[in-house]
Amino acid sequence: MRKPPPISIAQLTSDGASLQEKSPPQSAADLPLGTPRLLSGLYVHIPFCFHKCHYCDFYSIVDHKDRQAAFVDRLVSDFHAAAQHNIGAIQTIFIGGGTPTLLAVGLWERLLRALHATFEIACDVEFTVEANPETVTAELLNVLTAGGVNRLSIGAQSFDPAALKMLERWHDPANVQRSVSLARAAGIENINLDLIFAIPGETLIDWAHDLDTALALHPDHLSCYGLMYEPNTPMTMRLKQGKLHRADDELEAQMYQHTIDRLAQAGFEQYEISNWSLPGRRCQHNLLYWHNADWWACGPGAAAHVNGWRWKNIPRLDAYIDGDALPEIQDVEHLDEDGRIGEALMLRLRLLDGIASSELDSLLNATASGPLRRASIDRNLENGLLEVCDDTIRMTNRGLLLADSIVLELL
Amino acid sequence: MPIRNFSIIAHIDHGKSTLADRLLQATSAVSDRDRREQFLDDMDLERERGITIKASAVTVHHTYNGEDYQLNFIDTPGHVDFAYEVSRALTACEGALLVVDATQGVEAQTVANAYLAVDNNLELIPVVNKIDLPAADPDRVAMEIEQVLGLPAEDCIYCSAKTGKGIDELLDSICRILPAPRTSEIEQTRALIFDSHYDEYRGVIVYFRIFDGSLKLGDKIRMMGTGRTFTITELGRYTPYPTKVKEIGEAEVGFMVAAIKTLDDVRVGDTITLEHDPAAEPLPGYEEPKQMVYCDFYPATAAGDGKKGDYEDLREAMEKLHLNDASFTYDTTHSDALGFGFRCGFLGLLHMEIVQERIEREGGVEIVQTAPTVSYQVEKTDGELVEIHNPADLPDASVIKEIREPIVRLEIICPNANIGDLIKLCDARRGTFKEQKFLSDTRQILDYELPLGEIIYDFYDKLKSITRGYGTMDYEIIGYQPDRLAKVSILVNGVPVEALSLIAHKDNAEKRSRAILVKLKKQIDRHQFEIPLQAAIGGKIIARESIKAVRKNVTAKCYGGDITRKRKLLEKQKEGKKRMKTVGSVNIPQEAFMSILDQGE
Ligand SMILES: Nc1nc2c(ncn2[C@@H]2O[C@H](COP(=O)(O)OP(=O)(O)OP(=O)(O)O)[C@@H](O)[C@H]2O)c(=O)[nH]1
Ligand code: SF4
Ligand SMILES: [Mg+2]
Repeated sequence: MRKPPPISIAQLTSDGASLQEKSPPQSAADLPLGTPRLLSGLYVHIPFCFHKCHYCDFYSIVDHKDRQAAFVDRLVSDFHAAAQHNIGAIQTIFIGGGTPTLLAVGLWERLLRALHATFEIACDVEFTVEANPETVTAELLNVLTAGGVNRLSIGAQSFDPAALKMLERWHDPANVQRSVSLARAAGIENINLDLIFAIPGETLIDWAHDLDTALALHPDHLSCYGLMYEPNTPMTMRLKQGKLHRADDELEAQMYQHTIDRLAQAGFEQYEISNWSLPGRRCQHNLLYWHNADWWACGPGAAAHVNGWRWKNIPRLDAYIDGDALPEIQDVEHLDEDGRIGEALMLRLRLLDGIASSELDSLLNATASGPLRRASIDRNLENGLLEVCDDTIRMTNRGLLLADSIVLELL
Repeated sequence: MPIRNFSIIAHIDHGKSTLADRLLQATSAVSDRDRREQFLDDMDLERERGITIKASAVTVHHTYNGEDYQLNFIDTPGHVDFAYEVSRALTACEGALLVVDATQGVEAQTVANAYLAVDNNLELIPVVNKIDLPAADPDRVAMEIEQVLGLPAEDCIYCSAKTGKGIDELLDSICRILPAPRTSEIEQTRALIFDSHYDEYRGVIVYFRIFDGSLKLGDKIRMMGTGRTFTITELGRYTPYPTKVKEIGEAEVGFMVAAIKTLDDVRVGDTITLEHDPAAEPLPGYEEPKQMVYCDFYPATAAGDGKKGDYEDLREAMEKLHLNDASFTYDTTHSDALGFGFRCGFLGLLHMEIVQERIEREGGVEIVQTAPTVSYQVEKTDGELVEIHNPADLPDASVIKEIREPIVRLEIICPNANIGDLIKLCDARRGTFKEQKFLSDTRQILDYELPLGEIIYDFYDKLKSITRGYGTMDYEIIGYQPDRLAKVSILVNGVPVEALSLIAHKDNAEKRSRAILVKLKKQIDRHQFEIPLQAAIGGKIIARESIKAVRKNVTAKCYGGDITRKRKLLEKQKEGKKRMKTVGSVNIPQEAFMSILDQGE
């Protein structure tokens, strides 16, 4: 059974739009999203993996090849339903997972064809697919590029077999290089590598080595994450049982600082807490998230944000495949103005471009919490966690490491 | 109709309330349909904890030798904190059932309560209870009763409050052995108020025992102590159901309602007389209960920012509870760290815990509680004597001649094997050995005098762990004595936090301070800056610790699907922080205010 979404009808109608029925929203069709509108982004979730990594809290199931075709069929109908809420050209597409590259080549062809047939896609679209280094083949890459994919995000995580073992991440580090070469050969110009640091047992030198190895592959973009212990993952369980030791704060701070320094030296710009790119290569799709812009979501477990509404498709493959039209949703949320401002501050401060003073003023003047938020920002300016630069407010290097402490008070 | 008034007294858990159940059953006062265990423990907290907190009085009937007897009895609490309840109940009676558990034998509160009864000139019936249990050894227990209390072993009545065995014999003995109440000594009416209780609809309900004359519905009465007058609008008895009557006569026990709005209008221990024909002298009353421990209650949510909202809610809850329990005291107080709150006095730690729980539960407010302390007497250099209930109120060291602390006489009953360890414990707590007696060939009674401040917190737990649960203790205050005491201030980030200060003996102040700082270090989250923790006597630092600055607190990944969850996580942290108290830009969680209870052992 699906859980009723944590929302009241009163909240829904307070938006000004009227609701026909008094039951909780079953799908996005029940939300007062307004007339079809131009959506800038589309996220598609492919929920298959061949094995579950121990730090992972994404919705994915260990692949049963038998359900891939049914899943893609259903995804196509999901596209059709979604298109009714979307007019105009999509600017960014991100196909993530799971392990999208696990999908059979033939199914990829079908998926991409449907995507183009259903949506209007801008000619300068940024179209990213997440790839697992084990599953990248020339054949697949040709299908992807033919389907308009122009950005590949490769989950490298680490080049150290011991670290990969610790994460229970099953791939051969050598395959990262192979994937990059194949992608370049297929004409993909924009490549991201995902890396993780502060893995238990990892030293600063290990991390510096990982980073250098990644740079030697000449990526256009790097996402470097301090390892997060998400609830309900085997890593977190082992941490709680005392079977592994979290990297020391100080060490993690040093690794982070090294990342900032080393990547700057290599010509990368840091534009978000965990993201670096060569000039002009920032991930446009992810920027939508941090700018609180609108995007639609297809596939089980995918989250959307449209016209102030957030929701998530129910993360269950069976239920998804059994559905038609728009999938069932959960975690429906519509914040009031004050909540949305807090959320906007939380997201925007992650970006190193910060917030222009004038924009900040209008955010702070809009509601009664303004003065409290202002006071907290002033305190953090004084403590050197925030700084004013070219009339914008942004985090300092020290602030980036304490970002949660800063935004906590702004929510 | 002959009347017998008695209390049921015992050590905690020896079966008083269960015995009361059997008396209600054997006298057909409670129908089988309404039966439930510990019928008289009707407060939620009593039922949850399985202990009696408030004494309850009931009236039942028993036929003995063909004659109908009215039996008025009071089930009393056994815990040492509620000794005051017991002593009040005893003044309304001529006799008492002294219940002793046949598997446990005589315990500390058995002795204490037996002496209380004897001091009140009550006739005692020793009852050996729980004889149904396989481990019961009633003969040995009867011998203990004879040896320790001087009540002949052959007078003991053996019974089981569980199976009902021996209950009929007990009822007969009550009628046969306990004395009839004295007859009126004067013509005017005099009734002793032994308890009161606040009812939202009817106002104060007064429980009384008539010694002289009688009271009728509609009588205009006067409280001899307060001088206030009222008209009786309802009279009744608990049978155990409240049953209205028109008159309550000589030597009987009952309750009345008389449009009394607040408990301040009624003093337990006061004498009721008739307005038109008052008695000349009141009955001997009670001493006011003596509060043993003090601590502060603050509303949990107002972050010391001077906001009144939650403080007012707390005040309302305290006032309301005080209507039902006049034995705790409360006065407005203010602390830099915690804002506005109340300094409260309690009969003991269990009492404190129960009041806190009732305020939170019945008043719907959450409380931050500071560590309990005892009261001290301070003699100043100019000869003035002040009593302080809070280390923060201690006058400047330069004007203090001496600080005196409350001393108790402590009686421990324990197995022979544990005597050595207990002596060690008492000595470590600055105790003075007084006496050691054999209670039987396996158990002894150990008497010590020691500072109340040394036993109030964790002593009982230590005693229980040393004796594997077999030791029991009782204590009473015998006076105040000066010692080398000093105020230890705790500084967080350089700012003294009064709510964390304590009065300690100079010889162990350093050790205790260190233990407190270590505990604080664990309880206070790391901040963006390093936090020094210090303990000081006067200006001298006697211990220090520090909490390292946090280097990293960041959500590395926050993409489209993470936003709501991450935001909620941060909001939860923010809520948690709101409930902390801020001192010198450091957020201190509530538990930290209890860390000064750590003895450093
Ligand atoms: N087997 C057995 N258990 C008994 C008997 N009398 C009481 N108990 C049990 O002993 C426990 C304590 O009984 P209570 O009647 O609550 O004791 P109390 O003396 O009123 O306790 P306080 O009011 O807390 O001092 C309960 O679990 C009773 O069921 C008895 O005669 N036999
Ligand atoms: S491949 Fe990615 S989505 Fe799949 S289990 Fe590993 S981390 Fe999770
Ligand atoms: Mg009881």
